[in-house]
Amino acid sequence: MKPATNSNSVVKIKKERNWKRWTIHLFPIPALLIYGLFIVYPLFAALTYSFFDWKGIVRGEFVGLKNFKDLFTLEPFSGLFWNAFGHNILYFVLQMVFQNGLAFILAYIIYKKVKGSEFLKIAYFLPRLLSVIVVGFLWKLILNPNYGALNVILEKLGLEQFQKAWLGDPDTALISIILVNCWYGIGFGVLIFLAGLQSIPKELFEAGKLDGADGLSMIRKIVLPLMVPSFMIMTVLTFIQSFEAFELVYAMQGSQGEPYHSTDTLAIYFYRLAFGGSAGGSTTAVGLGSALAVVLFLFISFFTALYLRYMQKKQVDM
Amino acid sequence: MNRMKAFTLTGFLAFILVLSACSSESGGNSGDSEASEDSVTLTIGSWRTEDKASYQKIIDKFNEENPDINVEFKPSKNTEYNTILNTALQSGEGPDIIHLRPYTPGIELADAGYLEPLDDLEGLDQYSDETLAASKGSDDKQYGVPLNMSTTQMFYNKKMFEEMGLEEPQTWDEFMELNEKIKKEGKTPIALGTKEGWLLSLSHGIIGPAHYGGNEFVDQITAGETDFTSDEFQSSIDAMDELKQFFPENYEGLGMEDIRTMFFTGDAAMFPLGSWEIEVLREMNPDLELGFFPIPSAVGKEPTITTWVDGSYAINASSEHKDAAKKFLQFMTTEEFGTMFTEEFKMISAIPGIESEDELVNALGKAAEEQSTPYMMLVHFAGGNPSTKATIETELQGMYLGERTPEEVAKTVQESAQSWYEPLQK
Repeated sequence: MKPATNSNSVVKIKKERNWKRWTIHLFPIPALLIYGLFIVYPLFAALTYSFFDWKGIVRGEFVGLKNFKDLFTLEPFSGLFWNAFGHNILYFVLQMVFQNGLAFILAYIIYKKVKGSEFLKIAYFLPRLLSVIVVGFLWKLILNPNYGALNVILEKLGLEQFQKAWLGDPDTALISIILVNCWYGIGFGVLIFLAGLQSIPKELFEAGKLDGADGLSMIRKIVLPLMVPSFMIMTVLTFIQSFEAFELVYAMQGSQGEPYHSTDTLAIYFYRLAFGGSAGGSTTAVGLGSALAVVLFLFISFFTALYLRYMQKKQVDM
Repeated sequence: MNRMKAFTLTGFLAFILVLSACSSESGGNSGDSEASEDSVTLTIGSWRTEDKASYQKIIDKFNEENPDINVEFKPSKNTEYNTILNTALQSGEGPDIIHLRPYTPGIELADAGYLEPLDDLEGLDQYSDETLAASKGSDDKQYGVPLNMSTTQMFYNKKMFEEMGLEEPQTWDEFMELNEKIKKEGKTPIALGTKEGWLLSLSHGIIGPAHYGGNEFVDQITAGETDFTSDEFQSSIDAMDELKQFFPENYEGLGMEDIRTMFFTGDAAMFPLGSWEIEVLREMNPDLELGFFPIPSAVGKEPTITTWVDGSYAINASSEHKDAAKKFLQFMTTEEFGTMFTEEFKMISAIPGIESEDELVNALGKAAEEQSTPYMMLVHFAGGNPSTKATIETELQGMYLGERTPEEVAKTVQESAQSWYEPLQK
């Protein structure tokens, strides 16, 4: 009798477990739905759109790879593409140097527990809490050529010769925006690097000290190699972010890449092609825009994957 | 293995759900229209969210004569209106009555078959051909009832002019002298910045006609008898270049808000912009004494005010209540509506001969009827990709930054227009 009930309850438990195992897979459905509807579906939609000819908003005939060919060979589209591409590269390089480089230095200073490091940590992260639109608007005011704070400060310091229409001059417009982006993003970098630093075992520093390492050689020999994962994360994130650069540029300069295409990024250029600019009265090229979106997606995912693979290998080697 | 199966199944389920979500079609356009047998409900789509209260008054007036037609004004945000409308139209939905963007973007919708032709609508014959052209399809059928006109001209600060002893210029030379005088007084003559491209095609729309010779040139170029590299057009670009000495300091970094502020605070004496700014300027500085003058010609023609149709109203081809919608559009062609519109909206009605109580609006409306020249870039050259209008904006910006010569600007504009505008392809 006894064994029978026992086996019965075992079956019951098993059944229950089975049921639980099944239901658990139902929970991701809402998230998957949203993901599918807003990410997977548009991705494939853009891919199909890029193979068609578009007359305004009406889909025309299938044209194969013509949109891609036009994007790379037909003026003015190809010129604008490479122009924007160059700006994205500049975006990436400047962000790596100024945002991530400075973030590392700041993180190291905070890690060394200078006076007020807790305050600094919060202060550096504060801009990140603002909306990008607010940041863009604020800096637009600061950079205003005639009553903006920056030019006023320069004047008060007697540095009138450096006054500029920062966002109106094609030589400084994009760089200004990128530096604002660095200011905005530096706090995040500090956090990542600080976490990386804090995960280095203290004993290593002590051992290093005993072996006569100090200051710079400590950083070079101990800190940097152990920080590779943090650098890796920051590089990938910065890469993706700088090649998708849109919000801040849009907030500060609108969708026309003004002045004179000097602040065009690929995402801004895409927006203008697909949705016809910000003025509401210009024409759209959905096919070309979709082709650009596909190229951008492939480019980012290819290089991100490549880089991650390379870094993983390198990590294993170490 | 089991787990893998479960995972695939979940994924598959999710996928199906997504698919069904995508393909589900959510019913008719105007919902509970069958409440009473004779009453229908019309919806109006528009980008004028700020005019909701004024439209309600118009609708109430309409209901006095048509009590069985309910009308709902449902605007969406200006910058998102096009996208929202286009998506709705593509899936066979959208409002019954559509506030139509003027010229190319609106005509694109007509050509795509989303709009109902209105040729048999009474009252259309009162509008001029130029006004009707804003919503005429490529098939030569009329798709929209023109609502209002926008004008661009030189606004000026009456008080500043008085203090400096200046008068409205009658010739181009007088205009240039005027600028010199204001500059000598230490004020900015013309509040214009080149940071936002749209301001450049707009101001060229004001200055240009004085140099290319107004309507005559427009007629010639739309017939393909001249082009953008001609001396006439070239001189209009040269004039834009010459005027930069009268722009504010650091003009290359100034946008719309900056130049507006300069004007209403009295830093600058003139402001080349559109009729829609009147309300904003008065709101920002109620003491501002606002005047305007048509741009005097440099080539011995009449002074010009630049005008175009700002919006029209059209009927959705897939609307279920086309007859009721037509009744409403019919109402929009009446003098009763026109008068009410000018009073409520402080804009210039597209219906000819409507007087406004507002002196400035009234004078503008009159000038627009008598001395009008079209905003050529918007009316005729907003097509192409990138559009010729966008091209002249970027090129002028390049010119002000020293990257392009005026000759290169004209040449690039010509190339852009030639790539799509048939009369210029001969």
